[in-house]
Amino acid sequence: MTTPQVPTAPDGTGSPATRVLGIVALAAMALLVYLAFVATPRDATQGDLVRLLYLHPGLAWTAYLACGIATAASIQHLRKRTIGSDLLAHSSVEIGAVMTALTLVTGSVWGRPTWGVWWVWDARLTSTAVLLLLLLGYLALHRIDAPPEVRSRRSAVVGLLLVPNVILVHQSVQWWRTLHQEPTLARRDFDFGASDLMMFTMIYGFVALSLVFSWLLVQRFRVGWLEHQVEEAWLDEAITERRAEALGAEVER
Amino acid sequence: MAYMYLGWGISLAVLALYALSLVARGRRLTKSVPPERRRWTS
Repeated sequence: MTTPQVPTAPDGTGSPATRVLGIVALAAMALLVYLAFVATPRDATQGDLVRLLYLHPGLAWTAYLACGIATAASIQHLRKRTIGSDLLAHSSVEIGAVMTALTLVTGSVWGRPTWGVWWVWDARLTSTAVLLLLLLGYLALHRIDAPPEVRSRRSAVVGLLLVPNVILVHQSVQWWRTLHQEPTLARRDFDFGASDLMMFTMIYGFVALSLVFSWLLVQRFRVGWLEHQVEEAWLDEAITERRAEALGAEVER
Repeated sequence: MAYMYLGWGISLAVLALYALSLVARGRRLTKSVPPERRRWTS
């Protein structure tokens, strides 16, 4: 007689589904690198610098996506106070901060040879910097020394501000005169001109980075879940110890 | 060319380091969590 196999608990945050997603995301990024560096030609005006534009808008898109998820999860948390919504918002904000920082870095690296400066207090750049500060503020608030439900609630209030800030970032190039160009892909008359492959690569960058974002989000959520379990176990242990102490004091009396 | 490699290099390095740090944190934390509380559904 064979005994039924008990599934063993994973020794990390991976699972069969996330392994597949991870491999797909890695392959998608490898293809993006190939398209950006090998398959696409140099741009007539920008030269090789155009290759940065296959990465920069995709990073900005994932930052927007992260903020959208964080705000939706924050609303859910303020309504229902569930641990899942707090973990989702927190995970999304952390990844959003990484993506926003990389958006600023790649934009700055592109701007130095194009505009002649690393940084300018332009409406798009400034509003993106404010978005990064807001994301860092959320993360800082989530680490304050307060009961978990209090810090989660306070962070969720900051989470509500993320989508309005994303709208501000996105619209800044239309509401104010900026050095940063207007949205190109959204324009109906937009024509990349030189090559359809360049256009495809730029749009494909959004897909590849969205896959990376999805994998990171699942992993970060599971790390958050494990951290929550550790915190719960520590609290349970502390309560049990206090009860035992109280019981011991009662017996002595 | 240098600027282009700098932008791509920083981005890929940061994403790779962040991904690796998440995996490492997950592996470290699972040691402190009982098995029944770390079974992922898929």
